[in-house]
Amino acid sequence: MFTVFGKRIRLFRPRSIWVRRVVQWVFFLLIAFISVNHTLAESGAGIPVLSSASLHAVCPFGGVETLYTFAADGLLVRKIHDSSLVLAGIVLLLSILFGPVFCGWVCPLGTVQEWAGKLGKRLFKRRYNHFVPARIDPVLRYVRYGVLVWVLYITAMSGTLIFESYDPYFALFNFWSTEVAWSALAILGATLLLSVFVERPWCKYACPYGAFLGITNLFRVFSIKRAESTCKADGACSIMCPMNIPVDAVKVVRDHQCISCLECTSEAICPVAKTVVFSTGGVK
Amino acid sequence: MTLTSKPLALIVLVMLLGGIAFSSSMGWWTTESSKQPATFEEGEFAGQANPADIRGSYTFGDIAGSFAVTPEVLAQAFGVTGEDSSAFAIKELEAIYLESGYEIGTASVRLFVAYYTGLPFETADQDIYLPRSATDILLSLGDLTPEQIGYLEKYTIPTGITAATLEPAVGLSPLPVDSSAPASTEYSVKGKTTFGELLSWGVSLEIIEGIIGAPMPDPAMTVKDFASAGGLDFETLRPALQMEVDKVKP
Ligand code: SF4
Repeated sequence: MFTVFGKRIRLFRPRSIWVRRVVQWVFFLLIAFISVNHTLAESGAGIPVLSSASLHAVCPFGGVETLYTFAADGLLVRKIHDSSLVLAGIVLLLSILFGPVFCGWVCPLGTVQEWAGKLGKRLFKRRYNHFVPARIDPVLRYVRYGVLVWVLYITAMSGTLIFESYDPYFALFNFWSTEVAWSALAILGATLLLSVFVERPWCKYACPYGAFLGITNLFRVFSIKRAESTCKADGACSIMCPMNIPVDAVKVVRDHQCISCLECTSEAICPVAKTVVFSTGGVK
Repeated sequence: MTLTSKPLALIVLVMLLGGIAFSSSMGWWTTESSKQPATFEEGEFAGQANPADIRGSYTFGDIAGSFAVTPEVLAQAFGVTGEDSSAFAIKELEAIYLESGYEIGTASVRLFVAYYTGLPFETADQDIYLPRSATDILLSLGDLTPEQIGYLEKYTIPTGITAATLEPAVGLSPLPVDSSAPASTEYSVKGKTTFGELLSWGVSLEIIEGIIGAPMPDPAMTVKDFASAGGLDFETLRPALQMEVDKVKP
């Protein structure tokens, strides 16, 4: 690290938050093992030390989907178990404290979209993640709230997980099973294809759980904060942001799409120390 | 307070995995259905199992553990027989009735159990179908409300479509009811013939009650057991019942 015109600049800085990739891999492998083991267990060949829970049992969104039925009748929507409610509670607490870290650090569908996005970055370089016209992009970002309302409504009305037939996450970890609807497989395929052009298209435009957790961005305890006094205004943070948030234009990121990936911070892309930080207090 | 990536990673892992460990220790972490439906929380039926919470993964035996309905009655109602009816998982019903064009599955079992046990069950806006054998058993109870009878009339699948006329699922042997095959031996009233079987063969409730001279007992009860319990000789009932069976199953 050295100082230029009073600003501390790091010569060698990591380009990304590597520990996030490790955590993403851990959860991807964990869910993949559980899902495969669930299939094996159904034919009596499950590996005993591993959980053979169904994918629904380890998905926190199930806990959100069943909330109405749980509050109204004390029942869980079919295929949902108490574990989903526990996970939903933990993830909500994490989100109130740190924003949607579940999306940025844990959700395997987000991880897979990032992997597909690596190909897009190679192919399109700087054009990657900038294909959607700026006029309609902000409007499209609210579509996921419509999806959330629709999912909650149909689940409450039917008492069943109708969204399963459209859920790319369910398709991703059950594509070998006859339980998966072709519509879910088609949406998964489209998501992966679009990921080559746009970073995390499902998260940005359609994910109902991302929409739900995104609301916590408005009041989360730890936020991304930019110190204007030391900022070089090079725009690196905004360019790096997978969710296209203009970090360099705000002091505190309150955008409903932030996934707390920390890629915009001084620990990663921002070249000036302690300028874009993840903190509770204010910055100068 | 500022947080960097490594402490955040640790917090995420500890909160998720630690939260799961904590909830396990508190008994909150269940990833499978307990095979025990939730109970009604208030009203006349508070504390009793709620048929609306029966899951597809339950077996007839699981249902019998929570409701006053035996696996034999359920097997009778849904035209399923096998080595052990209590081990039959209700999610397999859909496969059995797949060819019928009607959805007979978990919802059908919920409806049947609710009507059979007299527990509340909301059918509004739902099209829940039952096979004729299940409807006959319910009607034989004689305590359904006019609305319930009306619902059954509307949603009983046409006679002739039963598990027996459809492809059996692996490991199952559907009951030989409503089959078009010659059935002189299949429709014989024997010692182990149940009242439910008589109903499913097409003998009406009135005729059965006329012959036995009493309200029909539990459909799972055999005619022989009924005769013994009433101090009657089975052979005094059998010919009359067989005559009626022959009329509907010549
Ligand atoms: S603002 Fe920063 S933390 Fe939020 S999504 Fe963009 S890069 Fe990640």
